[in-house]
Amino acid sequence: MTDDQKIQIKQLCYVNWLITKKFGGDAGVRDLKSLKNVVSLPGGGSLTCFQGERLSNRKDLYSQLGWFTYYIVDGEPFNGKNRTVALMMLIWALKFYRLEFEAENMADFVNTLDTLKQGNSDISLWLSNNCR
Amino acid sequence: MKRKIIRVGSSRGVLIPREVTRAMHWDFGTEVELVMNQERKEVTLKTIKISLPEEYNVEYLRQIEELMIEHEDVLGGIDD
Repeated sequence: MTDDQKIQIKQLCYVNWLITKKFGGDAGVRDLKSLKNVVSLPGGGSLTCFQGERLSNRKDLYSQLGWFTYYIVDGEPFNGKNRTVALMMLIWALKFYRLEFEAENMADFVNTLDTLKQGNSDISLWLSNNCR
Repeated sequence: MKRKIIRVGSSRGVLIPREVTRAMHWDFGTEVELVMNQERKEVTLKTIKISLPEEYNVEYLRQIEELMIEHEDVLGGIDD
């Protein structure tokens, strides 16, 4: 794993702890392999969208967020609150990139996301259609 | 303030007043550090300070905390 990926794993663990502290549920990592998948992009890359202004276009941003959301919902790396962590990080990333969105619509989307029917590209497409 | 040593099973204990535990944010199960200075005949209880590792971006973590409170309603409604 790269250093960037390790940092992101630690940050996600912190967010999982924060969310479970606030809303209840079990904190902690259930499956480390799944958690590694969440932060690993094809080709050994990492989620640069969580590391500041490194992405030059929205397509890359939505692509990375689609990847992140799919693997955290499908792989359930944490003991609990996986979807809430996904939504929290989506909200943070979109705010960071100064994009507008309806938080309630996004919550509905994350809540009802079915990874058997929807892949990472579907999530990216939804983001590109619902954020501006 | 003065406190008496009391019996707790076969051990000795000191009850900590509620105003102290509230002020120090000590709840049941909170770990505290006990420091003994035998020369000065002093025992001090300290909050254990935890600092984040250097590689954490503290500014991002604070933003996440603020957004969590701002979007509490939608985040709390997710059915995990």
